[in-house]
Amino acid sequence: MENIVEVKNLTKEYKKKKAIDDLSFDVYKGEILGFLGPNGSGKSTTINCILALLNFSKGKIKIFGKEMKPNSYDLKKKIGVVFQDVAVFEELTVFENIDYFCGLYIDDKNTRKKYVEDAINLVGLQEFKKYYPKQLSGGLLRRLNIACGISHKPQLIFLDEPTVAVDPQSRNNILDGIKKLRAEGATIVYTTHYMEEVEILCDRVIILDKGKIIASGTNDELKDLANIKERITVETKDLDNNHLNEITQLPEVFEALYEDGILKISYKNEKNNLENVIDYLKSNQIKYRKIYSERPTLNDVFLELTGKELRD
Amino acid sequence: MIIYKTFFKVLNKCKFPVILYTVLLLFFAGFNMSSNDKSMDFTAEKPEIMVINHDKEEGLTKNFIEYLKQNTVIKDINNDEESIKDALFYRDVQYIIYIPENFGEKFLDGKNPQIEVKSTSDYLSTLANMIVERYMKVAKNYVGSTSDNEELFSKINETLGKKAEVEVTSKMDTSTISRLTRYFNFSAYSFIAISIYVICTIMLKFNEDKIAKRTAIGSIDYKKINLKLLIANSGFCFAIWGIYFIFARILIGEIAFSEYGLYYALNSLIFVLSTVTLAFLVSKFVKNKNTITAFVNIIGLGSSFLCGVFVPMEFIPDFVLKIAHVLPAYWFVSNNELIGSTEVFAGEFFKNFCINGAVVLGFALVFFIATNIVSKKKVEK
Ligand SMILES: Nc1ncnc2c1ncn2[C@@H]1O[C@H](COP(=O)(O)OP(=O)(O)OP(=O)(O)O)[C@@H](O)[C@H]1O
Ligand SMILES: [Mg+2]
Repeated sequence: MENIVEVKNLTKEYKKKKAIDDLSFDVYKGEILGFLGPNGSGKSTTINCILALLNFSKGKIKIFGKEMKPNSYDLKKKIGVVFQDVAVFEELTVFENIDYFCGLYIDDKNTRKKYVEDAINLVGLQEFKKYYPKQLSGGLLRRLNIACGISHKPQLIFLDEPTVAVDPQSRNNILDGIKKLRAEGATIVYTTHYMEEVEILCDRVIILDKGKIIASGTNDELKDLANIKERITVETKDLDNNHLNEITQLPEVFEALYEDGILKISYKNEKNNLENVIDYLKSNQIKYRKIYSERPTLNDVFLELTGKELRD
Repeated sequence: MIIYKTFFKVLNKCKFPVILYTVLLLFFAGFNMSSNDKSMDFTAEKPEIMVINHDKEEGLTKNFIEYLKQNTVIKDINNDEESIKDALFYRDVQYIIYIPENFGEKFLDGKNPQIEVKSTSDYLSTLANMIVERYMKVAKNYVGSTSDNEELFSKINETLGKKAEVEVTSKMDTSTISRLTRYFNFSAYSFIAISIYVICTIMLKFNEDKIAKRTAIGSIDYKKINLKLLIANSGFCFAIWGIYFIFARILIGEIAFSEYGLYYALNSLIFVLSTVTLAFLVSKFVKNKNTITAFVNIIGLGSSFLCGVFVPMEFIPDFVLKIAHVLPAYWFVSNNELIGSTEVFAGEFFKNFCINGAVVLGFALVFFIATNIVSKKKVEK
């Protein structure tokens, strides 16, 4: 597999405070790599170092096999970045903004016009071309921000929390757009602290905490790290402590919690667990409204590895 | 191209404060020039002089005094040191001529007898001086052309009579040239203020942290972007310069398009280059609108007071002028004064004009290089 980005022993300090600590990882060609971590874990800092926007105390970074420097303009041509903060000109319309940022890469006017149209279509801003940023909702503004970052059709794209504070409609639109970019052949690095997004979108995930990689791999590989393998949720009102004790004694049960009419049972293994629970509920004539089984989430993994929740 | 296009779109969005500011400063420039100028209306006025004649009043001397009577107002004042001093001090007369013994005779013999003069330093005294010199020039021209003195005098008088009309124009010139000097001196403040205000207002958008970061990861060299933005900014400021020049024509008249006017224009054009580059450098440090006004005041007013923009240089203490050497405005104002005091645009004038201009251009270059260094620091933080 071809490595598009190689990061080795990257360390960055802000005034003696380590923001990232000895990071090493690769980004493979054509994948969507998720960077998952809570606020302040060092996601943005990592991206800024890779892009040579920050200098760092230690480590080596290569992009497309070359060292990235502030004046590596040939490399920059192949890279698209969508920063966490929306960066657009208030004075320019949607179209003009994308045109400007595309113009930082593409000189030819006609090519650019086509590229800008493509970007507008990708993020679904066709109806808003002539709007000024002030007239856009938060979600649409985020979409504009993304269009500005990717309109020059880069091979490598960094997206830094592009869905923060975005309505569900815009979020779906954004996630679809990212999938399309990948389908067109781009390699994507995607940072977020929403684990659901990572699960839907990413081929591989790196989990960061306090500037360190605490785990990495595919979704499945990561979920194996959690010591629970299945969680069954039952919505019922008729449970007492006796029942709860008996449920805890059922085979393979790791933990059972009952709160506000919701029973959560965690399992160390996946073995007919749902059947067992239903049998138990039937034989004890306990009525329930809903019952469902889930695989562990990345939050469980994070909890397992750090002892705290991913989101505070 | 996209940089220029975006620049002018942003400019267009900021046009209201920009136009207001520009008009205001042009208005000030015009106001400043006319308010100082109380001498505007006396084109018909003649200089008041006193003649102290040690020669006999006959021959050429008599003719000379007749000529003076026609072209000036000759006043009677006691011929003692004290009265003469007072008369000059209170501007009762602007010019005093001492005609030496045997002046007329010596002159006709082709010798070069010197007349002594005392004068105030206002423009009426300059005018008196011109009147006297004209007579000497013309008279010298005809001396020796004929042995008949009466014929000689009538030739002289005829020539001088013809020139009577020119007299009025040149009389206007001295005052208009000084007005022009003042107008262009004031332009130093206008250009600094407009450049800093407008350029910083626009560059504030381009230099905003988030946008600058976006630009830094683009594949265009920051030096190229700087250069393009500088050219766009210059374009705008040159347009302002053009308006300023046209205003000079409207406010002061034909003379704006004379040789004087063109040198003033050239000098201010060079100066605009330095204010644009300076403003461009300053814009890299501007974080919000309030800082812009602060910079305008510190640099605009500071330069103006130190370099004799509002107050003539001769009223400014030497040590202040020494300090002012580090400011482009000083060299600009010096050049203006040089133009204003020059009668023949050649030789020495040309050399000095070029030196002052070159220093201003040097400043512009330094400012631009400094801007690139600052940009580089920002890109590689
Ligand atoms: N300019 C800075 N100066 C000092 N410390 C900084 C600076 N930028 C970031 N940090 C610190 O570095 C750490 C990592 O920050 P970073 O922005 O990379 O986190 P992040 O994972 O992107 O967080 P978020 O999800 O909030 O965007 C944080 O502890 C932060 O306080
Ligand atoms: Mg961040």
